[in-house]
Amino acid sequence: MLENIVAWLGDELAFAGSSLLDTSKRVSVWYLASALLFAGALLTIRYGRQGWLRLQPYLSWRVWFHRSARTDYALWLVNRLLLALLIPKALTQAVWISWLYFYWQEHGFRDLQLGWSTSVVMVLFTLCYFLIDDFSRFFVHWCMHKSPWLWVFHQVHHSAKVLTPFTVFRTHPVEGLLFFLRSMVSQSFVISVFLVAFPNQVSLWQIYGVLVTTFLFNVFGANLRHSGVALSYGPRIEKWLISPAQHQIHHSVARHHYDRNFGVVLAIWDRLFGSWHAGHDDQAIRFGTQKAIDDMGMIGQWSQPFKDIQRLLRDRIKHRQMWLKQFSQKNAPHD
Amino acid sequence: MKKTLLALLVTAGAAQANAMSYEFDVTLKGYDGDATSSVAYSGQIARHALHNSLKKVVSQGDQTRMLMYLSGKEEGRIILDPASKEGFAIKQSQVDELSKGKDLLSSAYDGVITGWPGNPTAQELLQQWVELAANSKQGYDPVNGYDYTQLISKFAMGAVFYNKAVNHYLEEKLEADQHPNNEAYKEGVPYTGKEHVWDEAFGYFGAPAHGLELTPNEVVQITKQNPEYFAKADANGDGVVDLKSEMAFAHAYYAASIDASSDTTYFHTIMQAFVDGRQLISKANGERLTDEQRGELKGYAATIATAWQQVIAEAAFKYAGSVYADLEKIAIIEEAHGDVSKAFRDYVKHWGELKGFALSLEAAGRDLGKAQASLDRLIGFSPVLFGDMQVAAYDGKGGFVQTNAGIMQEYKLNMIKVQNLLAQHFDLKAKLKDKTGGMSAVLEQINTAGKSAEND
Repeated sequence: MLENIVAWLGDELAFAGSSLLDTSKRVSVWYLASALLFAGALLTIRYGRQGWLRLQPYLSWRVWFHRSARTDYALWLVNRLLLALLIPKALTQAVWISWLYFYWQEHGFRDLQLGWSTSVVMVLFTLCYFLIDDFSRFFVHWCMHKSPWLWVFHQVHHSAKVLTPFTVFRTHPVEGLLFFLRSMVSQSFVISVFLVAFPNQVSLWQIYGVLVTTFLFNVFGANLRHSGVALSYGPRIEKWLISPAQHQIHHSVARHHYDRNFGVVLAIWDRLFGSWHAGHDDQAIRFGTQKAIDDMGMIGQWSQPFKDIQRLLRDRIKHRQMWLKQFSQKNAPHD
Repeated sequence: MKKTLLALLVTAGAAQANAMSYEFDVTLKGYDGDATSSVAYSGQIARHALHNSLKKVVSQGDQTRMLMYLSGKEEGRIILDPASKEGFAIKQSQVDELSKGKDLLSSAYDGVITGWPGNPTAQELLQQWVELAANSKQGYDPVNGYDYTQLISKFAMGAVFYNKAVNHYLEEKLEADQHPNNEAYKEGVPYTGKEHVWDEAFGYFGAPAHGLELTPNEVVQITKQNPEYFAKADANGDGVVDLKSEMAFAHAYYAASIDASSDTTYFHTIMQAFVDGRQLISKANGERLTDEQRGELKGYAATIATAWQQVIAEAAFKYAGSVYADLEKIAIIEEAHGDVSKAFRDYVKHWGELKGFALSLEAAGRDLGKAQASLDRLIGFSPVLFGDMQVAAYDGKGGFVQTNAGIMQEYKLNMIKVQNLLAQHFDLKAKLKDKTGGMSAVLEQINTAGKSAEND
């Protein structure tokens, strides 16, 4: 038994380590390096030699070994193990997609027979897949901020006082589970619809085994989003694509930055929901929630959300009791 | 210069011709008999003839005759199939002309089959089915949805041929201490231990010796005894097709038929690996095989075993698609208040083929892991019948217990899942009658891209 557990732990950790070389993972060394080159080139064009100095937060060991960053690493590794146990094994993507695919057909949705070529279908499918994926990420993220019940878990991500590319893994396991479900539901939906509409023609446009949009997103500096390098895309592009600077605003402690820029790749969702905010290369931002959780280690990051949820529940019950009391007083029989 | 070129071409041609056919000279040291060929697999061909004939008699429902071809060893058994017909003469007409005293049952897998009520061994299951077939209407049981002709035939191929070749000859018999190559297989024969082990596996595959010279469609037409392809079958041109070396049987036929309908090359892949492996043994020239040679031979064996398993899984995949299509037809006919009996008959037939192939996958001692349990559950012990019933158990008195299984039409969803599972687990390529719209390929893409549990 113990041997099995040790072997499993070893495998999972080795697998986590292999992410560093895997082109399908954002934190692979290739994308970490490409982000540096991309930002370096852009900032050099903008600011000459001084531009490279702006990369300092990305390369500083003070950032990478900051207590907050060390918590990121711990959460990354331990959450992997937890999620491996939490994510329901029986509820696989294949089961979901098969059911939806069957369901659509039973309800009269059939092959569209448009006679489109496979490459057209591939481009269309890739586009829809990307749009739905990006929107669902935006929307779940938006809900995480708007609902106090979800925010208690999402605050873990925002408690980072320094941002490193590994902050992307700084999440509470409950949030990890929600995002897993999000990807399953959104992917199953788009895949099943396309399979019915264009049978035997559906495939994703991939580069090195990675969705083309994810690949471009990662090559062009996705890792800078969680870093201290303020890099704006300029006002015109930022209306369409979320820049690293815009995402850093999302992590800001400043009140006027609250609930801004929820998007991942596209900025259009934020514009539609009225949460868009422009970034700037010279913005100076402090990160965190300014609550006690900012200074907590891994255990605190796990437990604090549950304590907060207890508090929320207590408040709710108290509120309800008060309301009931009022109600019963009002309706009390008069002598 | 011209002469040299010509000589080269001739030599190359000869070498190629040599490699094309499954024919090999005697290499056994100290052999002083008259035989010039070391190839022998007539016992396996006899079992192919028994299987083909058994399939014929199941649909007649005569238990004595069924047992004669399943477990009997008596002399004088006539080959009911393949039999001579106009334009397609067969050399042998009796099983004894191929090999004497052979039966199917004793070579069937003796491990447990989990996909049938009561966990019988493959041998017990074949016997049980023969008994049940005898009590049915010519092998058809509409009450429980069984077509015993299909069940018995499809499963026997797996439980006997695939099992014996893959689980036995290409596995344990390739070890150094088993039938070494520097000894005769047994006293008096012109072949070595390893030569014969390999030949027996090849015999069970069921391909004609000149299979590499044939296209997949030609192999299919030979099995169907199409007179137009007689010349293709009759490799030595003696005017009759010799079952021992010129006919295509069982999984060789299915491999070729899948290849003929898609761009796969299962038949030639398996055939080539058999020829290459046999050539390696011949080249050892009657010496004991070195560990390195055995290693290489095991490589060929692995190629064969993998592709063979894929062929069976491809066949199951195709019939899962047929079952799906039958259910669609039934729904349409029902809606129009038509007569569903013919569509239901097809449904039961195709289900029997699906089940027979699916059970074959578990009949060779190969670990299928979770896929085995999933296949068992998704396909169930019977098709879902009218009234939404499905067989849940065997009552031990020759009857079955049925329970409610949910809506009949929802069994289509199971077929989609079966196809997905087969395609993913066995890495299928042909995927004939795909009812999933190509889902497994998309799933593979998504899985390699990885599911993300993090947002931003």
